[in-house]
Amino acid sequence: MKFTKSQIKYFLATVSLFAALHLQSYGDGFPVRPKRLILNPSVTYFFANQAWDSVRVKHPFPLNGKYTSLTYSLSAEYGLSRRWTLVALLPYTMSTFEQTGFKSTANGLTDLETGIRYYIANIDYRYYFMITGTAITPLYTNPNLGYGESGAELKLSFAGSGHLFGLADFFQLENAVRQYFGTQGPEQDRYSGTFGLALDSRFKNQLSVSLGGFYSTSSFTKLQLNPAINKNFAFNQVSLSYGHTFSRTISAFVTGGTFINGRNTGDGSSVSFSLIIKAFR
Amino acid sequence: MIKKVLSLLLLLALFFISKADAIYLNTDTIKHSTDVSTEVVAHDKNAIFSSSAYFTFSVKNPTSNDESGTVSYLVTTEKGDKVLDKSMNVRIARNSNDSYDFHIPELKPGFYKINFMINVSDYDDTTRRAFGIRPEEIVSEHPKPADFDEFWQKAKDDLAKVKPEFKITPMPKMDTKDRQVFEIQMQSLDDYTIRGWLTIPKVKNKNIKFSVLLGLPGYQVDLDPILGSDPDLAIITLNTRGQGTSRGPIDMRRDEFISRRIEDKDKYVMRGVIMDCVRCIDFIYAQPNLVHDNILASGGSMGGYLALALAGIDKRVNLCSAQNPILCDIRDLPGSVEWPMSGIKKYVATQPGLTMEKVLDNLDYYDGKNFASEITCPSLIGIGLLDPFAPPNSEYATYNVIPGHKRIMVFKDLAHEISQKYKDLEGRWMRDTFALF
Repeated sequence: MKFTKSQIKYFLATVSLFAALHLQSYGDGFPVRPKRLILNPSVTYFFANQAWDSVRVKHPFPLNGKYTSLTYSLSAEYGLSRRWTLVALLPYTMSTFEQTGFKSTANGLTDLETGIRYYIANIDYRYYFMITGTAITPLYTNPNLGYGESGAELKLSFAGSGHLFGLADFFQLENAVRQYFGTQGPEQDRYSGTFGLALDSRFKNQLSVSLGGFYSTSSFTKLQLNPAINKNFAFNQVSLSYGHTFSRTISAFVTGGTFINGRNTGDGSSVSFSLIIKAFR
Repeated sequence: MIKKVLSLLLLLALFFISKADAIYLNTDTIKHSTDVSTEVVAHDKNAIFSSSAYFTFSVKNPTSNDESGTVSYLVTTEKGDKVLDKSMNVRIARNSNDSYDFHIPELKPGFYKINFMINVSDYDDTTRRAFGIRPEEIVSEHPKPADFDEFWQKAKDDLAKVKPEFKITPMPKMDTKDRQVFEIQMQSLDDYTIRGWLTIPKVKNKNIKFSVLLGLPGYQVDLDPILGSDPDLAIITLNTRGQGTSRGPIDMRRDEFISRRIEDKDKYVMRGVIMDCVRCIDFIYAQPNLVHDNILASGGSMGGYLALALAGIDKRVNLCSAQNPILCDIRDLPGSVEWPMSGIKKYVATQPGLTMEKVLDNLDYYDGKNFASEITCPSLIGIGLLDPFAPPNSEYATYNVIPGHKRIMVFKDLAHEISQKYKDLEGRWMRDTFALF
């Protein structure tokens, strides 16, 4: 299968955003207490110049094609009570697709996510279970920036901490099911697992690895008028993250990630820088 | 696909949960290695059963001799009254192991002592254990005085008449790299001067406020500053009157302190000790750099008792952690424990006209159980089933009357102590509650 220009830029627009947001789960999983606010600004650079086709065969982009994007995002969680919090995510992306003799760009806010999180239970204050319901609101009309459809997501998370080799460790598992509304709305499943170690007893430095993936499918494939909008794709990516805590309120993370396999998707790599700001402490 | 991922998530969750449960090991350390050795296994991680207790008594005979004799058990109440016993003849062949299951007949709710004995040709030994039957049904037979609340309100009113005159003295020579140490001093009931220690993290931002761990002292323990490396927590250790740096006018022999003025409930030494703890909460509230609604009161033995008492009469305490609290369900203690009742009896014998009944009447106002019934903040209690000073029946009678959120951790093989697991849980519980993530 050969890719056309429009196919590449469309599916990369969505995939690069998903890849970026996959890298931003630090601090997620442990409860945000009443009146506490956690802010998570980040910037992610994504690059791809080859892709997997529908039968998982990798090809380079034709005509020296390459796709890059820079995504800024701000996520926040605010504690309403011991069990309920508000969550929000606002991404802004700038993407460029270039081929010999061709260049297109798309800039703008993408899908706003607003939701509510419920901390279901904990085991010995070590393992926490939570569920998050999110509404997806497109803030754009440019089809290069996403599906342009409203949607909803339900995410289950399980996080905990312990000790390994004398070091504090932590982990997080999550799975999110998302449905975009409208006749062409795909169903999507996002999953990830993260394991990290504190590198010192004072939790100043930490290292974590993540394995995550994305599975998108649509039952409306036959009805789609624009076959270029990518709704049937899948990928898995791994990432490595280093975090440093500067103070009680600010931590910084640098993360590198790359796709390891996929279908109907770009073979991308990304690097991300993000902050965790614990306000009102 | 989605189902597969959810299944994987569930499996991983179960793995971690099972890992958490696995920390409770049921087996006791095997005694000896080259001689005959025994092992007792309680078929419940806490040795608490709903009806019939169940133990396995294992014997290893690595010697070159066959061993013949008996294995047996004896069940008694906490006061030592015989309840049940059973013996069986055994023959353990050389270089072999054998094990014997003992299903103890159903008993009424409560805690019991059980001794497992082996008496064979070349080896005699006794393993002492305890177990509980439906302890959540244990109810004290001794009511709280009708004027209990009034009694303690009067004490607090008397304390309020004393100017606290808080003093905070930096002790730079005791500072560590990360924490500042201060000696604290204040005036308490009867204008008694009490002292303690405050340590706070060194921070550049002077506007930061710290949650508070208030450590309360064990009997006649001289508490030092607690340092640690927690960047979120101020730690206060209080030496109540007659202890450590707060000895002053009350400087008694160790055994005599518990009986000081016990003949008068309005002058008993523990009235002042408990008011010292209340005054320390006043101190916390007077400090602008401490979070006033994030106070954990914690202590072991008498410190555990003081944590219960303080949380019971002072609602400014937000979390209560009591490890092996003494003086609980006091009227049930004679016969169950040697100390502190022995010292009190000795004192009564030296006081003309004073009776033990009169003392017990007074102690009703100081019973940890009666304070517990007033506790509305979340509480964590730790007990050892082999505790010779804080017997599990009394501890459970106390725990059961706490009306607020509560949790108990039972250590079936420990005496007057709790394990690191308790302290770890206490830390996570506090961090969760005080939002110190």
